[in-house]
Amino acid sequence: MSNDLIIGIAGAGGDGVVSAGESLITAAALEGYHGIMTKSFGSQIRGGEASCRLRLATQPVLNPNGPLDVAVALNWEDFRRFGGELPVESRTIVIYESATGVAVDKLPLEGVKPAVVFSVPIAEMAEKNAGTDKAKNIVVAGLLAGWFGIGRDSMLVGIRKKFARKGTEVVEGNVRAFQAGLDFAESHPLKEDRRLQAAQFGQEPKLLTDGNDICAAAAIFAGCTFFGGYPITPSTEIMQFLDREIWKYGGAVMQAEDEIAGLGAVVGASFAGKKAMTATSGPGMSLKTEMLGLASIAELPLVCVNVQRGGPSTGMPTKAEQSDLFQAAFSAHGDCLRPVLAPVSVADVFGITVEAFNIAEYYQTPVILLSDQEIAQRKETVDPIDTSRFKLVERRHPTEAELAKYARFKLTESGISPISHPGMAGGNYLASGIEHNEFGRPTASGEMHAKMNEKRFRKFDPLKNRRDLFVIEGDPDAPIGLVSWGSVAGVAMEALRLATAEGLHVKLLVPKLLYPVAEQVFQDFFASVKRGLFVEQSYQAQLYRLVRMYVDIPVLVKPLAKSGSNPIQPTDVLDRLRAMVVAIQGNREHQPEPAED
Amino acid sequence: MNSIDTIPTEKLQAGAFKSDLKPIWCPGCGDFGVVTAITRALAAIGRPPHEIAFISGIGCSSRIPGYTTAYGFNTVHGRSLPIAQGIKIVSPELLVLVASGDGDGFSIGGGHVAHVIRRNIDITYIVMDNQIYGLTKGQLSPTSPRGRKTVTSSFGSLEDPVNPLLYVLGYGASFVAQGSPMDMAGLGKIIEEGIRFPGFAFINVQSPCVTYGEEDQQLKAQRARMQSLSALGHDPADRARAIELARDYGTKLYTGILYRNPNPPPTYGEGVAQRQEALQKQAVPRQDILKRFIPNPSA
Repeated sequence: MSNDLIIGIAGAGGDGVVSAGESLITAAALEGYHGIMTKSFGSQIRGGEASCRLRLATQPVLNPNGPLDVAVALNWEDFRRFGGELPVESRTIVIYESATGVAVDKLPLEGVKPAVVFSVPIAEMAEKNAGTDKAKNIVVAGLLAGWFGIGRDSMLVGIRKKFARKGTEVVEGNVRAFQAGLDFAESHPLKEDRRLQAAQFGQEPKLLTDGNDICAAAAIFAGCTFFGGYPITPSTEIMQFLDREIWKYGGAVMQAEDEIAGLGAVVGASFAGKKAMTATSGPGMSLKTEMLGLASIAELPLVCVNVQRGGPSTGMPTKAEQSDLFQAAFSAHGDCLRPVLAPVSVADVFGITVEAFNIAEYYQTPVILLSDQEIAQRKETVDPIDTSRFKLVERRHPTEAELAKYARFKLTESGISPISHPGMAGGNYLASGIEHNEFGRPTASGEMHAKMNEKRFRKFDPLKNRRDLFVIEGDPDAPIGLVSWGSVAGVAMEALRLATAEGLHVKLLVPKLLYPVAEQVFQDFFASVKRGLFVEQSYQAQLYRLVRMYVDIPVLVKPLAKSGSNPIQPTDVLDRLRAMVVAIQGNREHQPEPAED
Repeated sequence: MNSIDTIPTEKLQAGAFKSDLKPIWCPGCGDFGVVTAITRALAAIGRPPHEIAFISGIGCSSRIPGYTTAYGFNTVHGRSLPIAQGIKIVSPELLVLVASGDGDGFSIGGGHVAHVIRRNIDITYIVMDNQIYGLTKGQLSPTSPRGRKTVTSSFGSLEDPVNPLLYVLGYGASFVAQGSPMDMAGLGKIIEEGIRFPGFAFINVQSPCVTYGEEDQQLKAQRARMQSLSALGHDPADRARAIELARDYGTKLYTGILYRNPNPPPTYGEGVAQRQEALQKQAVPRQDILKRFIPNPSA
């Protein structure tokens, strides 16, 4: 039996590869398994190669990575195009379309001999049972349900519902195709039982969603009533979800003429007193920076989501990367601070999005939410979330007394000033991008500029003490420390578990608040640390360098950083951790461990 | 609710809309007249200052919101329109005015004009057109005539100017007017009409720059060229004729309402309100929003 199963399926666009994966993860979620599914495509808009990776487990799945337990190839040319995204190893069970004409001992997988190989007449089975080779995905689902014990009953229910509109004949044809897959698996049993163990938490079904949809849902939960934005991969699903939903809550979505206007309309909505948001990706973020500066000096709350993709410029629009952290931290000219938050999983996006709105409203600031393509577009099972746990924060309106002599930008002790909005009698003021005094009047006074700058920084001081925005796991006194963020944090978490299971003393820090850098949190973490790694998906190791601006971290803490679309495997991290243990035991206090890469 | 539906309890005078902030403009600047005309129009409309949002970009003209008692927002260069649209969409009950200049509105921010027009968002857009960059001290503007010598066109401009009137008519604007501070009463009336118009209203104001403008653009020279459209017998419902007249931009100075669509399209706000009303019954409570992610095997 297995408790963690990684399945990769690849074929031509139109083969139903993603559809097969979605049927499986939906069934798994209903049965209470944990799972993550990622999709990958060629750059063609339609057709071209398509693949999905599916990781299902009885324990929470921390990342979708790892070599395949099961590889399904509907044709080998397309399968091979995904290379390192679908790594086949000696433990892999390979299932492929026999119509490819490839002999079982002549698979085009250089230097790898998979554990088991099945040549299956998938298209023929689809044709014979459902009368069309479009049912190949149904056959594949049947094969996988048969061999690995996932979702047999719920997939049958799904097939019946899905095809009900098309009549009894189509329903029965697809049911037969599914059954044919099951039968094939039954008549070709695996020597080693690799079926997934029963899910641990009984029958409680999980939610199934992706980072973009749950971000949009969280925005509605937080009370967002306006979204202005411009379509850009891989963030567009946030706008699409809100366009289907937000009107029901008295809100509106405006598809703007460009990225600048999208954020501009959000700034306007916020000035008018409403919670508002935009979402974009790298190139759009570059265009929005002037408007972010305006929102900072005018002290207007808003949430700007950047679903990171590979950069610079157009870069790699469909691949995840963590290379926009510098841009987020320093997004706009002038002395300024904008909080930057990053969720670590699809489930985490909910709370972090609500937090982004809360911080924006409380501190009267734009907040940048750094998601990435992987979290945004992967399907993940999510344990039901008790939304009553989340408190919603509203901006501080002026009192009657304050309105009597209203100072919009009053230099208060906290740095947070009462904020009015058009329509509020007595609250009239001039908001501006130009430096202003407490009453909003334009000023060129150096003294006032210094005071206002100081206020606009000071107001964020309490944010750095928000230890709840940091995850710390492992042995608190460990001499080895890992730091990781965003979607890659799941890789570091898995590495930590593997290392701990080996008896290594390691700990992990995952900041969800990336900027301002919470100096004390990092200093406390590094107090016991002699060696360590920042694990992140960017060429420059941007978090490592950003933290070093503010914190004297131990010199033997180094980055393990890769450009986007080059998955970091938990075992890569584990190898480095082992080398560090050896170096510490060998008293090579001041030398880097040998496994630098 | 339309922006002008509120009935004032007491008549506000123009002075109630003027702030005590001292303008940075040069003595004799046309913009002084524009702010006066705006406050007169606002007094005629009668909405209290706190129900008015007055948005601008960057430039001499964009300082205007601060000289009124309305809620003002002096934003960044060229972006007043998107910001104003966000305000109007979420708070349709507000009266939203936008002030801009020829550079702010037709150069750096020119890309937004087509879109606010096709959305037909119910705001009034007043561009103070002086054919020069005044705040940065005398550079070429998108409405400067071909051949104009400035500090950035030392040997004369190699470009044809933008024709703001023809532009907005071409984009399909339903209310297009032009005025001059030379005729303060007329300008105030045009602005008032623009505010009352149910939809996007564009008003080009020939507001000369006394410091960097050419002699032929000054108020005295304007007087000789000014021609009232109503005196000409122009029918503002006649779009074809309006386009003909708009071609004279740069040579003649027509004042009054060039075009007013007798059958204006629905405003964006009307569409938003209808959609919100039609869909509100489908809303699940916010705290239950995650239930929509319960897996659906037949999806």
